[in-house]
Amino acid sequence: MAMPHIGTVLLYIALVFSIWAVILVLQSKSGARRAAILSVIAVTSVTAVLVRAFLSNDFSLAYVANHSDRQLPLIYKISALWAGQEGSLLLWLLILSGLAVIIHSLPRYRTHRLDLKLSIVVHAVRIFFLMLLLFVTSPFRTLEYVPSNGSGLNPMLQSIGMVVHPPILFLGFSCFLVPFAIVIVKLICRSKSMPWLELSQPWVLFAWTMLTAGIVTGGQWAYTELGWGGYWAWDPVENASLFPWLTATALLHGYVLPPGKQKNLWCSTLIVATFVLTIFGTFLTRSGILDSVHAFTGGLLGWFFLGFLVLLIGFSGYLLIMRRRLLVDETGLSTDAYSWTGKGRMITFSNVILLLILIGVLLGTLAPLLTRLLLSREIALDQGYYNQVAVPLFLVMIVLMGFAPVLDWSGASWRQVGQRLAVPVTAALITLITALIHLEHSLMGLILAIGTFAGCTHLQGFYLYVAENIHDRQPGFLRRLVRRAGAYLAHLGIVVIMVGVAGSSLFNQEVYVTAAAGDSIAIGGYRLEYSGLDVKWGNFDYQVSTTLQVSDAKQHRGEVTVTKTFGQDLRQPATDIGIFSTFREDLYVNLAGWDHEHAQVHVQLFPLVRWIWTGAGLIYLGMVAVMLSQARLWWGKDRSR
Amino acid sequence: MNKKIRFLLLMTLPILLLAFLAYKGLENSAAYYYTLAEVSAMESSNQKLRLKGKVDQGSVEYIPEVPLLSFALIDGEHRLDVIYEGVLPDNFSHAQEVIVEGQLNQNREFVVSKLMFQCPSKYEEGE
Repeated sequence: MAMPHIGTVLLYIALVFSIWAVILVLQSKSGARRAAILSVIAVTSVTAVLVRAFLSNDFSLAYVANHSDRQLPLIYKISALWAGQEGSLLLWLLILSGLAVIIHSLPRYRTHRLDLKLSIVVHAVRIFFLMLLLFVTSPFRTLEYVPSNGSGLNPMLQSIGMVVHPPILFLGFSCFLVPFAIVIVKLICRSKSMPWLELSQPWVLFAWTMLTAGIVTGGQWAYTELGWGGYWAWDPVENASLFPWLTATALLHGYVLPPGKQKNLWCSTLIVATFVLTIFGTFLTRSGILDSVHAFTGGLLGWFFLGFLVLLIGFSGYLLIMRRRLLVDETGLSTDAYSWTGKGRMITFSNVILLLILIGVLLGTLAPLLTRLLLSREIALDQGYYNQVAVPLFLVMIVLMGFAPVLDWSGASWRQVGQRLAVPVTAALITLITALIHLEHSLMGLILAIGTFAGCTHLQGFYLYVAENIHDRQPGFLRRLVRRAGAYLAHLGIVVIMVGVAGSSLFNQEVYVTAAAGDSIAIGGYRLEYSGLDVKWGNFDYQVSTTLQVSDAKQHRGEVTVTKTFGQDLRQPATDIGIFSTFREDLYVNLAGWDHEHAQVHVQLFPLVRWIWTGAGLIYLGMVAVMLSQARLWWGKDRSR
Repeated sequence: MNKKIRFLLLMTLPILLLAFLAYKGLENSAAYYYTLAEVSAMESSNQKLRLKGKVDQGSVEYIPEVPLLSFALIDGEHRLDVIYEGVLPDNFSHAQEVIVEGQLNQNREFVVSKLMFQCPSKYEEGE
């Protein structure tokens, strides 16, 4: 049997075992776990078959022929797996299958057969993906005439960014399925005792971190590969990943809300919304109903996703509304924490702000669709709209975030709040005045003041916490300290990113010159010396590159190289943008054209870009600390808080 | 005051805030989808327009010194000259369907402020 058929057969086997597993659970018969594992093994084998096809240059498969060629380096032959529609759905399915294994193997989930109940929801989603791969968009479609070589992987996707970005993002998307399953199971079984908050929290922490990393790596890829110097363009596909991020961020903070009457209901609504939004985003970008630059082809796939989405929303919405009483907590009412000086109220406000951003961005993204339905003319909104809506709201959110260390869980006294605000507010005012005098953008002054405020409250808050608790160490002090340090670090990361985004978008400069060898280009206090082009012919490609010597007023600072690589068809080049990066600013060099003696060099200067990646690093670090401090939640042995 | 009424009043505040921001954001950022046929009948435009069409590969010219990219956009029997002041994007040579956003100037050329085309993920379609 030829490899492609084996792949299809394995997909069928996976489908049958998944359905069988669901049936066994529903009939309370044994063997469901075994069926689930067999289905997972089948999916893993499917992936292996496709990877093997890529590695052995099996161009009888349309998917391989369209995304690879003989010359492709090994790492991209593997990443080509998720370079297209079918393969990326397969990768997603593989990750979902991994989740099934994890649920079945964690002891905590095996008590009271919880893993089996959860697995029904997981399998339901897996079955949907399996049907897509079998009946809508098969990765094993064969070509009638087998080409001698594939058409290659788009040069733009031949970058480390595109190796890591899709798996991380899909991992983030997928992991929200488990919290969703936990809520659904709780509601269906009308279980009052199930500690669902505790069960779902570690998943949300991990999924949020991955989603954040997925968004950031996507931005890094765009910045280093696309050549226009941006990392975020409010494109529908980017927005699609932002939707679940916004609800997940609200959720992350919903978990730490003090017990209140509506807390559980609110958190479960956010869990459901987040998962639904991951599917909704996929529907938007893959159905082709929006004219996204990233859109895959539409057709049947869009209808499948739409149907799935309607089912999801209908089913989970019905459960949430009809069984909301299961989630209303009549006992846990703590009014102090929801006073003006309690963290509860501040978190509620920030949740509202996040939802406002969500609605604003959602409406903007859907504008072409809505106007097509409601008006005679289709209207699309550009970045101006999103910036106008989102930037003020994000700034408000970061101010609220700055209050986190100032307030107490049980409601601080006004006097305490005043004492804790004194230093940060003074520092913020000094920053504001200094910035307004020295900088031409008053918005930057405001942003720096907000950043100073939030930064100071967090540093001061951490210092005070350590100073108060270090002497009489309660049991669990270390864990609480690590958790707090992690949370504050993530908050600081947000502040650092904000400053980076503001700096790079408000103070960018550019020059565009036609240079001859020996010419130098001046920008922002730097001088870049151009000394001609290097042309290299390889076996299957050729490269044009230039290396510019960078110096400032005082000294030589280094060099920056930009390379254009043309593949076998000599048409579409892949550009390695030259980036000379410091914490102060990035010089972003592109080669726009050349002839025998001249080259057109486009140099852009983006201040503080590195702050964005650094801020993201702080967030990852902080989240790792938080996850470590919460690690016991995976096992649930130690239930003390 | 009744608790429910107070809650509803509190909820209207953020909604008004969002409505205000969205309204401000709509100014200058809305681009209207037109077909090439419609634009062919126009003199010039003050609005931002978005057009979809195919690139006439034979008409593509790029002057790197400016930099200026010009090509003809075709949709059925209609044809429109398009100019874009900017660096030639890497994947333009593979672009067939493009979406251009901009305005029609007095010489009936479409001046593009934003050039969009199917992204890498759809590369396989450009066979």
